[in-house]
Amino acid sequence: MAIINNIEKLHEMLVNKEITPLELVNESLEKSKSVQDKCNAFVTIIENPKITNVTENMLSGIPFGIKDNYSTKGILSTGSSNTLKDYIPIFSATAVLNLEKAGAIGVNKTAMDEFGMGGTGTTCHTGPVRNPWDLKRMAGGSSAGSAAAVASGVYPFALGSDTGDSIRKPAAYCGIVGYKPTYGMISRYGLFPFASSLDHCGCLTRSVKDAAIVVDAMKGIDPKDQTTWDSQNIHLYDALNGNIKGKKLFYIKEIANIESYQNKSEMLKKHLANFHQTLDILKRLGVTIDEVSIDKSILASLPSVYVCISCAEATSNMSNLTGIIFGPRGEGNNYEEIIKDHRTKGFSPLIKRRFVIGSYILQKENQERYFVNAQRVRRLIVDQMKDLFKNYDALIMPVGSGIAPYLEDDNNMIDNEETRILEEHLQIGNFGGFPSITIPNGFIDNMPVGINITGNCYDDENVLNIAYALEKEMPYQGQIAKEGENE
Amino acid sequence: MKKFTSEMVEDYANKLLIGLSEEENAMVLKEFDIIDHNMELITKIPGIEKIEPMTHTLDDFVYELRDDVATESPDIEELLQNCDSYEGREIVMPKVVGGDN
Repeated sequence: MAIINNIEKLHEMLVNKEITPLELVNESLEKSKSVQDKCNAFVTIIENPKITNVTENMLSGIPFGIKDNYSTKGILSTGSSNTLKDYIPIFSATAVLNLEKAGAIGVNKTAMDEFGMGGTGTTCHTGPVRNPWDLKRMAGGSSAGSAAAVASGVYPFALGSDTGDSIRKPAAYCGIVGYKPTYGMISRYGLFPFASSLDHCGCLTRSVKDAAIVVDAMKGIDPKDQTTWDSQNIHLYDALNGNIKGKKLFYIKEIANIESYQNKSEMLKKHLANFHQTLDILKRLGVTIDEVSIDKSILASLPSVYVCISCAEATSNMSNLTGIIFGPRGEGNNYEEIIKDHRTKGFSPLIKRRFVIGSYILQKENQERYFVNAQRVRRLIVDQMKDLFKNYDALIMPVGSGIAPYLEDDNNMIDNEETRILEEHLQIGNFGGFPSITIPNGFIDNMPVGINITGNCYDDENVLNIAYALEKEMPYQGQIAKEGENE
Repeated sequence: MKKFTSEMVEDYANKLLIGLSEEENAMVLKEFDIIDHNMELITKIPGIEKIEPMTHTLDDFVYELRDDVATESPDIEELLQNCDSYEGREIVMPKVVGGDN
């Protein structure tokens, strides 16, 4: 199948008329159906998408996937929630429109953890998404369907959104690339809001180069999103030169050094050993890598800080989900009963718990202790990172504490496990709005794992170039999951 | 500060117009215990109260006044397509003031 190629190759094939956009779309739709059967990756498969002409734009005629929290005009957009199970927007998100202007063709809407709140891909209203490398395992979340589809070769890229690590964690679990650029580089207009100060748009691909091409097309200042900024001087694709000799990176000792853990499980040992082997590759390329220490109590608090900020913002953002002006109307004798019926039946247990916590945190008598203190710790960690970025090009870290867990081990509960910060540290990228990319860096027990590179705001070109140079030294670029062959 | 109790969870859920099962109520408290423990540690960071809370993601964010340009409003009929209960151009609701119906 041609569709499994990268964007540059597909463009070349289209320009040379070796294949047409319609044929590519048909391949992608056919593949979507087989991946749906195996992975349950989609909310909607768009049967008759509008076919575009091949132009000079590399994305023209290329099929792609759209996470279901991006509004798409005339196409079901549910956020994987029963509260919006029939919702059809009357406008499209700016990021989607930008890709459509480039000639890309949306072929499906991908399943996700409900409204992006979750990291497992198991809270979608259409059921859990399965990992294409091993169907008994989770794809990770919240951009679960996008990750499973890209890893399966349905198309070269899909849209994701990332509030805590929702692009970068599933990318690692599925052996692909996940990139969220600096906050505000891509407009969030039309993206269902979860936690507005942490929400980022981005993409999942099978190569760094494809991620650069896609975000070059998605980005841009947007009058409809006041947090966007002018990025016309940033050219991600053109800046990829692979020359990283002399760059300086750091990792956080308390998270990425095995000696920091009392319980050294076999998985943890393998994962961190693999991480350090990847660092050796970078060192051979002339990169300096330092181990940096950060106050363990601040690190340990970060997952709770994240929950405080994200739940508080989410509680407020999602108060419009009443079932009155849109969404399935609840039953009851007055408006309160109608709304309560809609919200009780519509939201998953995870979301409901988060809303209650968010509401408690926002009470006047609790705000200082929880919400304001969380914002203070956010400042502390972001300032510390920015100080480090004065001396270093980027932070490099392992993603998660190992391979994708089994679906039956689904755990969306907050816990205080020793590895919690290893699981959650990518939230730092959201706290600071930092550009951050995950790329695959090996296999453990036949399952992919990933490594993450995060840099200072607006330094996306540098971050992607480091990832690009490292990717070239490893054999995982463009890999396609062998669907269910590990079964 | 009052301890977060099962009754308070119920009360906040009601205010949010969300129904919780007993099991869900217990899970809220269990999770909140961990958050509370970690936030307690934060209060012990020296000088934490003097740190300016970070409320926006980018330090150099600039609020810009936009030109007052008129744009087209969404079409009401289009908007109502996502509403389950409407008559003509109006949403149907039970009476809010002065009774149940």
